[in-house]
Amino acid sequence: MKKRHLPHLLRLLFVFAGMNVIWYIAYLLMNHSILPSPGAVYEAMFQLGARDVALNVGYSLLRIFEGVLLALLLGLMVGLLMGRSPLWNRLLDPVVYLTYPIPKIALLPVVMLFFGLGETSKVLMIMLILLFQVIISVRDGVKAIPESTYDVLTSIGASSMQKFWNVTLPGALSVILSTIRISLGTAISVLFFTEIYGTEHGMGFFIMDAWLRLDYPEMYAGIMLFSLVGFVLFLLVDLLDYRFMKWRR
Amino acid sequence: MSSLKNSGLRINNLHVAYEKGQLALGEMNLTLPEHGIYTVIGPSGSGKSTLLRAIAGLLPGYEGELLFNGRSVHDKETLIGLVPQNYGLLPWKTVRDNIRIAMKIARPGSGSTNRQEQDVQILHWLESMGIAGLAGRFPLSLSGGQQQRVAIARAFAILPTILLLDEPFSALDAITREGLQQIFIDNWQAHPATTLFVTHDIEEAILLGQKIIVMLPGQQEPPEILDNSAVFAMKHVDKRESDEYFEQSKRIRKVMMEKW
Repeated sequence: MKKRHLPHLLRLLFVFAGMNVIWYIAYLLMNHSILPSPGAVYEAMFQLGARDVALNVGYSLLRIFEGVLLALLLGLMVGLLMGRSPLWNRLLDPVVYLTYPIPKIALLPVVMLFFGLGETSKVLMIMLILLFQVIISVRDGVKAIPESTYDVLTSIGASSMQKFWNVTLPGALSVILSTIRISLGTAISVLFFTEIYGTEHGMGFFIMDAWLRLDYPEMYAGIMLFSLVGFVLFLLVDLLDYRFMKWRR
Repeated sequence: MSSLKNSGLRINNLHVAYEKGQLALGEMNLTLPEHGIYTVIGPSGSGKSTLLRAIAGLLPGYEGELLFNGRSVHDKETLIGLVPQNYGLLPWKTVRDNIRIAMKIARPGSGSTNRQEQDVQILHWLESMGIAGLAGRFPLSLSGGQQQRVAIARAFAILPTILLLDEPFSALDAITREGLQQIFIDNWQAHPATTLFVTHDIEEAILLGQKIIVMLPGQQEPPEILDNSAVFAMKHVDKRESDEYFEQSKRIRKVMMEKW
């Protein structure tokens, strides 16, 4: 197992090193304070207090988790309803169809008007971004499960709950995971916007704060850390995929 | 009517119609004694699968009565083991978990029997199907024949009162099919659940059934029921070569020529 992953890891490290080399060349060519050298940025990163970094990263992660969890809970319920009941699908389909193309980021000011500048509106924004994609993918995932998959369990008298846990949820899980993977990128970008306002914690705040103070090495350090957060989240989804999607291999 | 108590599976005036009112299954009357096994053969569209789905409780509605020992087959007491043509395994569960979940749902009272005991039972059934080594595998990594063995093991493992098989071997090649017919009949003789076996293969119908129900197209006439006890009484390996087998085969073909 370890052996198979090693070349993959080496390749990643190689690409990472290559990007740093390009960055360094660009720094030499520009020779300006707005693009510090990789060395200076890493130095700034290590000079940040561990507590400071943990606090900012922690806040950002927490907001994403809360938003994703909310979107999953709501999206699963609505998506399941639409996937299993033709009546609800007919009722809700136009709603989803009409609201899906609205650029959710444009709702940021509206959400802040209604829920203030605090935590609620930040988590709500992430939820809004993810929700519609989750609903649509859960619905389609549930619909794609052939009706005959339920037959044997139905014939031995399984309850709706038992059918949900043993057929519907695992059957739709692969679609749910890929939706999360795709919309996670958007969620992280939105998080950045929401963290510019009304907070003194989080990676968005940290980056913009460094920018205002003209502390460019620290700003870039913040961007790198923020990317790391995204990377860790992607790894997490991969891990879930590996754990629950074994049966497809 | 004291015989009602162990009269087996009784089908009285069963009709099934599609939503548009067209008949999916015409008039059907049948008595299948407890611990008996009948095979059902018929052209496509004659209502073979519909019959099984009605008994399995998978149809929203039908007319007529379906009784087992005098009580409705959809009673909690009557447990139905179904083996569909497409095996009906949950691809996201291992072979072991597929059987475990069926046992758990079918017999919720036995939840007290611990996991280890359940594992022993599961292994026993897999062994009797000759696939003990596959317990930890996922269905998608198995061949069709292996998946069908798992499906049959699962049906037997819940100790059903009624066993329903819907063309279980039709997707398999001839050699695998003959092997599985032997394994199936051996297991059935050890645990004779009341069984309806639907097939489109004349040979299979004669090899496995005490009686052969020949469904007719058009949903107008009642099915022809042929007695097959002479062939059924033989040893499984001798059946194919016997005169009775050929006689029976001729009789079915005659019905097919005249009525299909």
